[in-house]
Amino acid sequence: MNVTTRRLRSIGWIATLMVCAALVMVLAFRVNALRSQVHQSELRIVALKQETMYLETEFETRANQQQLKTWNDVEFGYVAPTASQYLETERQLVAYAKPVEPDAPAPVRVASNDDSVDAAAAFPGMVSPLTGKPATETADTAPEKAGTDKTAGHKTDDEDQPARAKHSALTGAGIAGPGGTAVAAAGLAGLGARLATVRHTAPADDAAATPRKHAAEGAKAKGDHATPEKSGAKSGAKGVAKGGAKGGAGPAIKSIGTKSIGTKVAGRAPDTAARTHPHHDPLREIADAGHSRAPAHAVRTPLIRLALKDARKDVKSAK
Amino acid sequence: MASFLSPGSGSAAGGRFHLAHIRQRALATARMRLVWVVIGFVFFALTAFVRIGQLGLAAQGPDHGAAADALVPPRAEITDRNGVPLARAFPAYSLWFNPHALGATGQPLVKTPEEVAHALAQIFPGQDYDDLLRLLRAGKPTYLRRRVLPEEANKVHALGEPALEFPRETQRFYPQGSLAAHVLGYVEEDGRGKLGMEQVLDARLTDQAHRAEPVALSIDARAQGAMEDELSRGMLETHAKGAAGIILDVDTGEVIALASLPSFDPNRGDLARNALVFNRASNQVYELGSTFKPFTMASAIDAGVITDMAVRYPAKPLKIDGFTIHDSHDFGASLNVPEALIHSSNIVTAQVADKLGGQKLRETMIALGMNARPTIELPARGFPIWPKGDWPRLRTMTVSYGHGLAVTPLHLAAGYAALVNGGIWRPASLFKVDPGHAPAGHRVFQASTSARMRQLLRLIVVDGTGKKADASGFRVGGKTGSAEKAGSHGSGYRNKTAIIATFAAAFPMDRPRFVVIAMLDEPQATEQTSGQRTAAWNTAPIVGRVVSRIGPLLGVVPDGRRDVDVSDLTPLVANGDGE
Repeated sequence: MNVTTRRLRSIGWIATLMVCAALVMVLAFRVNALRSQVHQSELRIVALKQETMYLETEFETRANQQQLKTWNDVEFGYVAPTASQYLETERQLVAYAKPVEPDAPAPVRVASNDDSVDAAAAFPGMVSPLTGKPATETADTAPEKAGTDKTAGHKTDDEDQPARAKHSALTGAGIAGPGGTAVAAAGLAGLGARLATVRHTAPADDAAATPRKHAAEGAKAKGDHATPEKSGAKSGAKGVAKGGAKGGAGPAIKSIGTKSIGTKVAGRAPDTAARTHPHHDPLREIADAGHSRAPAHAVRTPLIRLALKDARKDVKSAK
Repeated sequence: MASFLSPGSGSAAGGRFHLAHIRQRALATARMRLVWVVIGFVFFALTAFVRIGQLGLAAQGPDHGAAADALVPPRAEITDRNGVPLARAFPAYSLWFNPHALGATGQPLVKTPEEVAHALAQIFPGQDYDDLLRLLRAGKPTYLRRRVLPEEANKVHALGEPALEFPRETQRFYPQGSLAAHVLGYVEEDGRGKLGMEQVLDARLTDQAHRAEPVALSIDARAQGAMEDELSRGMLETHAKGAAGIILDVDTGEVIALASLPSFDPNRGDLARNALVFNRASNQVYELGSTFKPFTMASAIDAGVITDMAVRYPAKPLKIDGFTIHDSHDFGASLNVPEALIHSSNIVTAQVADKLGGQKLRETMIALGMNARPTIELPARGFPIWPKGDWPRLRTMTVSYGHGLAVTPLHLAAGYAALVNGGIWRPASLFKVDPGHAPAGHRVFQASTSARMRQLLRLIVVDGTGKKADASGFRVGGKTGSAEKAGSHGSGYRNKTAIIATFAAAFPMDRPRFVVIAMLDEPQATEQTSGQRTAAWNTAPIVGRVVSRIGPLLGVVPDGRRDVDVSDLTPLVANGDGE
């Protein structure tokens, strides 16, 4: 017994010793492995740095001064900035906001929560791609269409949400944003008014709660040219999502195409009292727009000029 | 051990003693073993601790030196003032003939040497067919070409000859091609820098301790590009033989651009560059003509010879020692100093110089460094043709309007910098100068004289011969100079059509920052220059275009509402042009 214990003990000691030795060796191996890993990494870093240098040199060579000059001559035609392109002080910058005519009324500036809302309001109204008439004409059929879509097994409203959000983000205008933030009066006749008066920027929840109310106001103001925006917007969003659903592609493409114009105009057009007086007289506003209530450079876009012209024509015929 | 412990062995006492003895021995053995085990443990523990300690504390990790060394170029990089690489060590391809690629015995080439040599000569038009054939036939390992572009390497590869190899070898590469070639120079096959800063900095660039750090020059690659571009356009428009251009920082003497055309591509290792390495900006001396008149006037204002700008001088041809001084046109009976500069009148300038005296003018020219090689790091520095001894009356007069004294365009640039920067002459330098470390220089003109000269130079551009240099908003001031080129060996001005057209300018004149010099060698009258050959029609527009291109890059904001006040001089000038 004694002998066995002793023997076991010594075997145990030896085993422990061997385990320790093995551990030391493992440690040494591990250290060496790490070391060679570091070495490998370093070699790789060097190789990559050299590669970067090659590529950088190639880029420098391909984009050298003479090459850039040749490209500029053939392709870009950039010229050095002239004195008139420099602004020295903030005052000079502010001077651009001054009215262009001596007797032009000062622009009324009000706080705005979102530029995209203004942009939405300044958009030309949606027109039917088939008839060329304002989308209000099809307003009555829109809900039914939406219903048919659902029954026909197309995407449900829930599925459409991301698409709508995408559309909203795409246009940056928020026409068909899920919250329905903006309700733009439809049709070209409303454009002049919108140029002069960026309006209808009801808070999101408000608009979502009462889309019909706004539509009704629009209808009241424009006679038979108003549309329940929600359904119109929905069809627009679907147009984007489904890539040409019936009657949807037209407005969707249009709104995307006119994004920059809308934004520009909204950025420049002075917001007006219309925000506080929703029941304004659209005819008077069109006439006002003609008197460059918006700065001249803001309405220089050909599309808008054309729309303004049409709107004025409408006013004349109305009178 | 079991046999010792068996009960039937020996007597009881002896057996007990024996037993005790055995037990003692066993105990001793056990202790010994224990000691050994402990020693073993201690040894391993110590080894482990030492190793851990060594790894944790002493060892600094793997040696980084070897890997980092691979990134250190054999020759340091040269960059422009903004860090744009102008010259760097780059592993480019070379073409190596290895006749043993197909085995030690047998034919080294798949095709015949004639076919291969012919194909190579087609890929490299500069290469001699006979040379190639000789090398291929010799069957010895050798370079066929030191530098091969990747496209060329692809073409050679397509020949399908395993004996043609493309080892990558670190060579000097100039990413900007021929840009600033005269400033940079090139590196020969043996690795020695030649011609430009490569030669000047040879020791520094190859120094083991400093190779990793690039050397920044004062050149701005964008400004250099603009200058070379506009000069070459001017050269093409006027069919000029050559051109030179300099942009100099007036406050520090830094050379922002230095161009000499025609230029060469330092990447090309052939002999084609040999004829083009001559630097017209710092090595060739010219009689720079009317661009010297502002120096004369400034010297006269400084010396108190000109106190009143309204004083008029007769403008009829002047006869001195059997030599008649003319103007290019008849500018009327008399001219004042501003008018003389605007119309570039030799006659009035000569009279002013006469009043000033040869001694004073000579001192001014010496102070401006016109009697010595230009101060710049480049090895190519031309020695001026400097009239020895005291200047007689006629010599003084001719020097006053830039004849009889030939200097490099770089002399002129440094002189104009002193003229407009408040009167301090500083040596030009191709090294970037840290802010606040500009060389002190020495005063040549009083600050008031310099202020007056700024007005006069601006007036020349607004009302006079330099109108075409008036880059909008940049307040350029300068002076044209169209000097007939002297024939070689003092043969006089025989060829009346061969001229040197120069425009020396500075901008912005209300607070000068840069001097811009453009020079065309023998420009011709062409349709683009309205049939004119003089500086007003060829170099002044070059400067105008260069200034409008480089101004915004160099931090000069064009401003149409700002200018140097010339209202006290304007009433004295009856408008009109001249040369």
